[in-house]
Amino acid sequence: MSFLDAKPGVPLLESDDLVRHYEVNRGLGKPNATVKALDGVSFSLEAQKTLAVVGESGCGKSTLGRQLTLIEKPTSGALKLNGTEVGHLSDKEAKQFRRTVQMIFQNPYGSLNPRKKVGQILAEPVLLNMDNLGRKEREERVRATMAKVGLRPEFYQRYPHMFSGGQRQRIAIARALILEPKVIVADEPVSALDVSVQAQVLNLMMDLQEEMNVAYVFISHDLSVVRHIADDVMVMYLGRVAEKGPTDEIFAKPLHPYTRALLASAPKIDPTQRVKAEPLTGELPSPINPPSGCAFHKRCPFATEECAKVRPELRNFEGREVACHRVEEIA
Amino acid sequence: MALLEVKNLTVEFGSEDKPFRAVDSVSYSVDRGEVLGIVGESGSGKSVSSLAVMGLIDFPGRVSADSLTFDGQDLLTMPAKRRREITGKDIAMIFQDPMSALNPCFTVEAQIMEALKVHEGGNKKQRRERTLELLNQVGIPDPKSRMTAYPHQLSGGMSQRIVIAMAIACKPRLLIADEPTTALDVTIQAQIIDLLLKLQEDSDMGLILITHDLALVSEAANRIQVMYAGQLFESGPADSIFAAPRHPYTQALLEALPERSEGHDRLRTIPGVVPGQYDRPAGCLLAPRCRYANESCVKARPEVSDFNGRDVRCFYPLNDQGQPTGMATGETV
Repeated sequence: MSFLDAKPGVPLLESDDLVRHYEVNRGLGKPNATVKALDGVSFSLEAQKTLAVVGESGCGKSTLGRQLTLIEKPTSGALKLNGTEVGHLSDKEAKQFRRTVQMIFQNPYGSLNPRKKVGQILAEPVLLNMDNLGRKEREERVRATMAKVGLRPEFYQRYPHMFSGGQRQRIAIARALILEPKVIVADEPVSALDVSVQAQVLNLMMDLQEEMNVAYVFISHDLSVVRHIADDVMVMYLGRVAEKGPTDEIFAKPLHPYTRALLASAPKIDPTQRVKAEPLTGELPSPINPPSGCAFHKRCPFATEECAKVRPELRNFEGREVACHRVEEIA
Repeated sequence: MALLEVKNLTVEFGSEDKPFRAVDSVSYSVDRGEVLGIVGESGSGKSVSSLAVMGLIDFPGRVSADSLTFDGQDLLTMPAKRRREITGKDIAMIFQDPMSALNPCFTVEAQIMEALKVHEGGNKKQRRERTLELLNQVGIPDPKSRMTAYPHQLSGGMSQRIVIAMAIACKPRLLIADEPTTALDVTIQAQIIDLLLKLQEDSDMGLILITHDLALVSEAANRIQVMYAGQLFESGPADSIFAAPRHPYTQALLEALPERSEGHDRLRTIPGVVPGQYDRPAGCLLAPRCRYANESCVKARPEVSDFNGRDVRCFYPLNDQGQPTGMATGETV
């Protein structure tokens, strides 16, 4: 299958105008409403790089994760792995695809089957995808992966409830890694963890990236974590991309008013880094009934009449992509 | 006299002969108009200590303290009826998850009016007026129509505003906010914290802000105390405690933050995890994870002592350079 081979000059994972709409039943006699959870998202991810997707809850970042792993099929748009379209694969081909793109879920208390031992949890992907391996080889592979993520060999026979949050997340990482994928979609992998454990898991993820050459799509709402781990950042708002660019540049000089507001509202320890900005008023609008024009205009301090009428498209500005009508003026 | 004075508060669970100390002789005080921040990782006892102040620790939990006084009155020895009059009225609490703190079966109006009915009395009309006033005060847009809304019709930020309205309904003199923004997005978090601080300033209320977010307390609080495994490890003024940590744990926590690291370097971690019920070390609770620990740390438990105007529970508190003091060189294990 051609999408398994890397091609020079072609990004590893690429999406073009990816759309996912959900039909919502509003009750008897009323027409169904459409939730535009993901409304035209394009990005490309190079091998061994980390792309962070940030935004508030309801902005579509988890929906994006589900499309990228083909847990759900996108409504329209293209999803390409190594330059080959994968959005409409047959079940058999999709199985091959999923070996290459794995996922780590947010809550390690919910993502591990409590009735299976660690060994069984980790062996399952191998059992399903590498049926040429014998039992011995399978166990060897599981043990090798456990060692890689820092789980002690005696944990093989233990159940998930015997572990702390950080160790559970290590199990989840091992499960994602065991098939040696090229891309891992990590949906808020550290947000359920304490600061000291969070640092351990972040370090592990960075070590594994170097060692196993995986690329991450790192979905998070924690800006300081994103700044630390990501090469590129994509800021999402209500199913669309607000701003996209290299991490250092975005944090040094956010262009989109929403990115600015996000950065300003995150609390900082260092008093010299605190910016006294007016906090963003209002809340994320409903994706069933999004505002006209720019989705952000009702909360935006720079909004004009144009913003209420015309939806800004993503365009290049100072080497970054920004979806804002007034970016030249406010930059 | 401080508004709330807690001296050697201890909360124990489990059997009498082998108790588990969730909170181990913690002392603090809060004044009128003061914001006290309590930070710690999960399992540090920060929530349990505030539940004990509210009198919400049920059997089999055991609360004991040398003194637990609110405005000069001893909360532990007063009759239960008197205590119920104080909690909910003079001391109010905001819980972590606004979605589960509200009763899904009742309207917003009914839930706020219940608190007013119990503590303030008055007739239904007055209570309804006061409810409307409260919703206005916490910044709920279109409060009239929200009065009859059920919790499931509200967003997380909106629910938290309702919970705050409920807590301040009886004009408390002390407000305990237990992780008030953990379930919320950053932009909404900023709104809620601003609201809490404004209410606190307007009414000269004491505020205890419990959180695991170091950056959040450092911005919001006047004084901060750092807790670990049920013990108070360090306390001091907010502007200096994170600038020059005196306890190795505070220092290590700060270094583990991604914003403190340069570029893509690995973060400096604290090895291991917070000790649980069965694996608490005999000596200093941090000793197995502390990079400066030596033999005396493993053997004996340090007491809280004063170091440069800061309360620190460590044998070798750190100096301005972040190095332990009072330790013979090369003594670390």
